[in-house]
Amino acid sequence: MAASLTLKKLVFRVITCSILLVLIMTLCCFVGTQKISFKKILAGPSDTPGENIDYEIFFGVRLPRVILAALVGAALACSGVVLQAILRNPLADPYILGISSGAGLGVIIAVLSGMTWSFWAGSPIAVFAFAGALITVWLVWCIGHLAGKSQMISLLLAGVVVNAFFSAVIMFLTSIAKSQQVYSTIFWLMGNITEKNIPVLWISASFILAGIFGLFSLSHKLNILTFGEEEAKGLGVDTAKTRVTAFGFAAFITAIAVSLSGLVGFVGLIIPHGVRMVLGPDHRQLLPVSAIIGSAFLVVADTLARIVVAPAQLPVGVITAITGGPFFLILLAKYTKKVSWLK
Amino acid sequence: MNSIIDVENLNFSYSTRTILKDLSFKVMQGTFLTIVGPNGAGKTTLLNLLCGLLRPKAGSIKIDAAYIESYSIKNLAQKIAVVRQEFVPVFDFTVTEVVSMARAPYSGMFGFETKADRKFVKESLEMTDTAQFAARSLKELSGGERQLVFIARALAQNTPILLLDEPTSFLDLKHQVGIYDLLKSAQLEKGKTILAVTHDINLAIQYCDQILLLGADNSYQYGREEDIFSSQQIEKVFGVRTFTGKVGLKKFFLPLGKFAKDNKTISSESAD
Repeated sequence: MAASLTLKKLVFRVITCSILLVLIMTLCCFVGTQKISFKKILAGPSDTPGENIDYEIFFGVRLPRVILAALVGAALACSGVVLQAILRNPLADPYILGISSGAGLGVIIAVLSGMTWSFWAGSPIAVFAFAGALITVWLVWCIGHLAGKSQMISLLLAGVVVNAFFSAVIMFLTSIAKSQQVYSTIFWLMGNITEKNIPVLWISASFILAGIFGLFSLSHKLNILTFGEEEAKGLGVDTAKTRVTAFGFAAFITAIAVSLSGLVGFVGLIIPHGVRMVLGPDHRQLLPVSAIIGSAFLVVADTLARIVVAPAQLPVGVITAITGGPFFLILLAKYTKKVSWLK
Repeated sequence: MNSIIDVENLNFSYSTRTILKDLSFKVMQGTFLTIVGPNGAGKTTLLNLLCGLLRPKAGSIKIDAAYIESYSIKNLAQKIAVVRQEFVPVFDFTVTEVVSMARAPYSGMFGFETKADRKFVKESLEMTDTAQFAARSLKELSGGERQLVFIARALAQNTPILLLDEPTSFLDLKHQVGIYDLLKSAQLEKGKTILAVTHDINLAIQYCDQILLLGADNSYQYGREEDIFSSQQIEKVFGVRTFTGKVGLKKFFLPLGKFAKDNKTISSESAD
């Protein structure tokens, strides 16, 4: 009998991947226009600010940014895993289905209507982003239902349309906004990771990790849900409840990722596929491992974005789209072939 | 012995079309029941009612002496396992992974299999002869092999009742007989109650104890297989004339249409 996934095996793999992630993150902290020496960091903070610049750059600038990239990567990868499972469509991804731009629209509305005040590191921006993401999830789900059996392509088309529509609204709103807001908004829309202050980072981290944990507790049900409604019910899964909860969590972490970094595309597509190819489709493993690999991927992508045109910076979304676009096309060709074969 | 399924005055309709009307029958524990009837008579609908996917418009269904509505989805899945027609799932799950999913109705929060779960899975794989391709993906299997995997999953679910929707359609003779033998051994060795929808009257006669014959006009007949089937009855319900023969104990029915080579000989040689 083939060995199936056990808790022990899963813990081992997650720890291995986590070690890898920490290594990559540390490494990426050392990469940049300003050379940093390892010795000086170990020396600790100096008494007078500005004396140990290396330490300050490492902990004050690079590390928070790397952590932020890791958080966004984990959230988007998990969201992709879950959307693919529930929609039973291996090409689903929060960016492609327009969920990211839905959240983005929420953010823009909040920013332009001046609701940027914050309480305890949280702000209405995140709430608006979540609402935008939820509405889009609901829209996509309804369209998917209408589309019925041929949903593989029609769902993607629905995503393209929703995406185009929301992008147009976003563009309209930015063009009527004050000019100094426009530049930063456009950069943000392309998916941009910048330095955030530490409290924001901690709050976002705890929310995203809680969301991922919630999804992990559903992951064995997600396995069964990929067999369809009838089969899942026959195996004792409350399909409606599971779906709504999973969609809620996915929209939640996507919204946080979007409010942190704008529209970063294709992470939710590339990462789950890669992990599935190596470790198989079992969501109890796919979800946590995708989270870690997604983190690593975005940390590397963001480091590239920092150094490619240094001292200027690229939005990280440019890097992910350049790698993700061709990848998506290859998958599309592969799956559409399979679908016609099934008929 | 108690009746494990008790259907009383069951009615079901899709908008204006009545599918089932005042259907009543009781199934004793450990019975092999086949549900036969022409297309559109409501066989699959009945199956979906029995596994709780559809709600009756009127009448009641009791599973193990409790109304079906009183079960949660999870509890019902501990009583009834369903095998639908085989299909290729979206993702590349292996045979073991698919069969392990049968343990979901018993699993805790994170759904990791216990030792006991793994034992059930192993047994079902061995019983269905699917252990040999346990590590392979469902996509790499033939239709017959996939059907066996879904039956293995139903067995691993360890329920007293098995529902099957046309388990042998699209399969070759060897696989058809193999699946009926497997179901029969599950009935005899494990005391399972088996309800199978089928179009194959002859296999049904050879393997089952009871027949539920659903007609397209909402009529039905329920009883022992030898009491239900006769060439007149089959002609009435299916609208097809048959040649009736006998192999040892049991009758068989060979449908003969207008252009069938033996059409003319039907009436003279029928043993019925």
